[in-house]
Amino acid sequence: MSDPTGTGTTTQRAVAAGAIDARKDYGEGDSAVHALSGVSVSFERARFTAIMGPSGSGKSTLMHCLAGLDRLDSGRVFIGETYLDSLDDAKLTALRRDTIGFVFQAFNLIPTLTAGENITLPMDLAGRKPDREWVDQVVRTVGLADRLEHRPSELSGGQQQRVAVARALSGSPEIIFADEPTGNLDSRSGAEILEFMRAAVDELEQTIVMVTHDPTAAAWADRVVFLVDGQIVDEIADPTAEAVLDYMKHLGD
Amino acid sequence: MLKVAFKDLMARKRRLITTGIAVILGIAFLTGTQVLGGVLNDSIDGLFGDIYSGYDAVVRSPEVQETDFGEFRPPLEAAVVEQVRTAEGVRAAYGVVEAATVSLVGADGKVTGSGFGPPTLVYNWIDDPIRPGVLTEGRGPEAPDELALDFKTAADAELEVGDTAEIVGQDETREFELVGLVGFGDEGTDIPGAKPVYFVDEVAQELAGAPGQYNYVAAGAEEGVTQEELASAVADVVPDQQVITGEEWIEQNADQLAQFVGILTTVVTVFGVIALVVASFIIYNTFSIIVAQRTKETALLRAIGAGRRQVVVATLAEAALVGVIASLLGLVGGTLLATAIKALIGSTFTVTGGIAWPTGSTLLLAFGVGIVVTSLSAVIPSIRASRVPPVAAMTEVAVDHTDLSIQRKVWGSLFLVAGIVCSALGLTSAVGNELVFVGVGLLCIMLSVAVILGPLLAGPASRALAWPLTARGSMTARLASENAARNPRRTAATAAALTIGVTLVVVIAVLATSIKSSVVEEVDGALGEVDLIVSAGQFSFLGVPPVVSEEAGQIDGITEVSPVKFGFLRLLDEYGIQQAKQDAASDPPDEDAASAGAIFGVGDDAPLGEDAIANGYEPSNFFDLVDLGDVVGDPQASPGAAIAARDEIAEERGWEVGDTIPVYFSATGEQDLTLVATYSDGLGPDDDFYLSNETLSTNAPPGFDIDFAVYIATEDDPGVRAAAQAELEQLTADRPDVVVQDRREFVESQTAFIDVFVAVIYGLLALAVIIALIGIANTLSLSVLERTREFGLLRAVGMSKRQLRWTVRTEAAIVAVFGTLLGMVVGIAFAVALAYAITADDPGLLQLRLPVVQLVVIMVLAALAGIFAAILPARRAARLDVLQAIATE
Repeated sequence: MSDPTGTGTTTQRAVAAGAIDARKDYGEGDSAVHALSGVSVSFERARFTAIMGPSGSGKSTLMHCLAGLDRLDSGRVFIGETYLDSLDDAKLTALRRDTIGFVFQAFNLIPTLTAGENITLPMDLAGRKPDREWVDQVVRTVGLADRLEHRPSELSGGQQQRVAVARALSGSPEIIFADEPTGNLDSRSGAEILEFMRAAVDELEQTIVMVTHDPTAAAWADRVVFLVDGQIVDEIADPTAEAVLDYMKHLGD
Repeated sequence: MLKVAFKDLMARKRRLITTGIAVILGIAFLTGTQVLGGVLNDSIDGLFGDIYSGYDAVVRSPEVQETDFGEFRPPLEAAVVEQVRTAEGVRAAYGVVEAATVSLVGADGKVTGSGFGPPTLVYNWIDDPIRPGVLTEGRGPEAPDELALDFKTAADAELEVGDTAEIVGQDETREFELVGLVGFGDEGTDIPGAKPVYFVDEVAQELAGAPGQYNYVAAGAEEGVTQEELASAVADVVPDQQVITGEEWIEQNADQLAQFVGILTTVVTVFGVIALVVASFIIYNTFSIIVAQRTKETALLRAIGAGRRQVVVATLAEAALVGVIASLLGLVGGTLLATAIKALIGSTFTVTGGIAWPTGSTLLLAFGVGIVVTSLSAVIPSIRASRVPPVAAMTEVAVDHTDLSIQRKVWGSLFLVAGIVCSALGLTSAVGNELVFVGVGLLCIMLSVAVILGPLLAGPASRALAWPLTARGSMTARLASENAARNPRRTAATAAALTIGVTLVVVIAVLATSIKSSVVEEVDGALGEVDLIVSAGQFSFLGVPPVVSEEAGQIDGITEVSPVKFGFLRLLDEYGIQQAKQDAASDPPDEDAASAGAIFGVGDDAPLGEDAIANGYEPSNFFDLVDLGDVVGDPQASPGAAIAARDEIAEERGWEVGDTIPVYFSATGEQDLTLVATYSDGLGPDDDFYLSNETLSTNAPPGFDIDFAVYIATEDDPGVRAAAQAELEQLTADRPDVVVQDRREFVESQTAFIDVFVAVIYGLLALAVIIALIGIANTLSLSVLERTREFGLLRAVGMSKRQLRWTVRTEAAIVAVFGTLLGMVVGIAFAVALAYAITADDPGLLQLRLPVVQLVVIMVLAALAGIFAAILPARRAARLDVLQAIATE
């Protein structure tokens, strides 16, 4: 497979996932909305990338397509060395299960399963034995060791989200996609989650792509990509909250 | 507010249909049977009206005996006909021979008209419009070797005028030339509910077993003479006989058949009601779920000012609308059903053609029941909807709450206690109307099972049932069991519909198996030394030809031949008279004005007493051949007037061996018999009396002096026995309806009717089970909708469509098996209770047997049915858009 990089962004490290000239419209004719109009981007391994942009900028669509939850109209997306466009539903499902971790804003856990079962759910679905040592390490990292037998309804919002992060990490995926993971949390719980995600990248060498519109959250990332009207307009390396906020204000002008 | 309810309903047409299907099926069944019952009753009236249209007055004997086969009256001498002809106003009068003592050999060489279906009737040919039937082709029989048939029977037997027809009589098989065809109705195009065969008088009388006699005399009136005038005039010239009008004759004949049709419709209606009870569970469940899912919408309505009453009314209106539409569709279905069945039976029975239109009362019933059932089922959910606080509009989606309220526990327990008390009272016969008590009791128990036991058990049971799969690490099974367990009330209500059906199936299965094995054991044990049994078809009055009892003894290897007759008698002992008085008091004959004024001359002239069926026995060997337990007395004593009785019966009636027992036979009047012996076990449960064959022969009504079976003992060698069996078959070769069976074959054929009965009941219960499965599918569809986001998440984190489908299917299987298990436990409990009640009166009648294999099969079928029911909901779940399910914006 050819190296699917050379997309104009800085690429010193190995690439975990990316998109090449990704286009997607919603609706038809005059009322059509260009959710993605030619996005090319790549995400490096063992890095924490944030995608930012105002509502309707296409950041969620981009993430859904990157994660194999949605399909592009044209262009390509890849995870590791696999192009997703040619995969059928069964293969996409297997790919999601085995190589991608997810953290959503809300409704992250299956209410009928315990925290522990939620964490190993993807592997159980695959019929794979979880790597016990790795799972233990993940659980310790997110601080859930004494909560594994609890049901989601018995956990706080922050705890639930930590279980979701642990689930995303437990299969040691190629890449983790997080969609507004702190959107439903108070600031302290949100900070905790971001701290774990940071730790996962630094200590466990995981790759995380996070969609957010919160500059404080984005500041935890190694790199912030800005999306406006379905196109990448800019990016900041090693961002601070202030820098991101400034840039966002500038975008709003 | 009503507009909101209506719009909501229209927006979800599919749900409307699935909810309605349960009611549609129930109503279709209910109205179908009503419509069919009406059509059949009309047909029966029309039928007899057609056959007997020429009768203005009928003269018959006042002597009468009621039996399971209708009433028997002794025949009249030919002289009576001449007397009748002298009466004023008589245009014509003829003696009529009418007897069910022959069969026609069909094109396939088998006897037609035995078993269920129209009986074959012997008639004498009367050359007058009085005769039942209109000549349509050829002529009437004029010589002893000629006969006429109805065109349908002839066509079925592939016979044309001029062909030779074979007729099986009680004594022999004879050949006749078919000389004419008849039909019924004005045009002669209808077919009757019987197969009439016409002969010349002498032959008909001979075949009917009453030479020189007629069963009754039919008279036609002269122009301008009414039936009453005629009957009255005739009564004056035959003062010893009973005379009734033609109308009354038709009515009495129709009544007997109508009674049978009535029982049939009642039975089928019961199953329709069961189906509706099951349907009500489904409606309740559907509305509960809908109300829960609509919490936000309801809260919003409440927040902007809808009153609680309005919420209740809106929900009930929605239910009522479902009821109206479902009733309408059910009515259409029922009409189609009745029309189809009508077309089906039209080939053996005259029914008016075309669509079986429902009557006004059927319409009322359909809509009444449909609307009431749906509305009542939705009452609790609608009240629940009205309790949604307006603030719920602002909070996250509320899920159907699952805890069991105290109220529910209290009511459930009350129902349980009431049910147990009720059925206990009924079962121990402590109250008058036992069946009603047992029925109501069982219903209460079922309700309490559905209301508390079900929800209490649903959670743990779901997990336990899935354990074999979850223990091996199946995530789909784990999710399925948790989904089934998360809302015990919903699961229980869904399962309850199935529980009802399965309970009934299990009760029937357990009782049938128990009865069957008891019958097998009892019959086999009682057969004693009997090795071969010769018998005619079970529903035939033809009997075993006399040649068997006469010549079987000469066959090599046969050691004993013991013919068995059977007959009817009325017991005139103190006990019997007492019994008859009680019966008359509790069930006064409904003497409506019409029938009271329609009988002339002598009223029914039989002495008061208790009617009974008796088997015959051959005094020389019967009691040695069969094993009737403890026999006291000498069965060979006074062979011409001997009666033997089961010892319990004799004791109850205060009889002792040697006593004289006064009895009455319709053919010979009052007689004195001698109790020659008592025995402890009959061949069957109802074998309370044995009369010597000679006693039965002397007193038999014409056509009933027959051997209904011949018991035969052979030398104890299988080869000899088989050879003897073959020779017996040879002996009866011209009687295709006669079978020669060894003990095993005989015992099996004795229980065959139980299998047929059980199959019919299963068929009827299938409706309830199908409705229950629709309920499972319906609940699951709604649950799938409710869990859209959950399924989306599962798909996102890597559950394949296949796995998702299996999760839904496994949940359905769990619910189905849970409902089935509950039904089995309750069913077995009921069966045990019923068996106890039955054996309390008559121990040894029934030994409880569990049909283990059958129960396991039912269980496996339930699981498969559950999976089947989940096909659509599972497909729906798998088709969910993953993105939509998890999208947060």
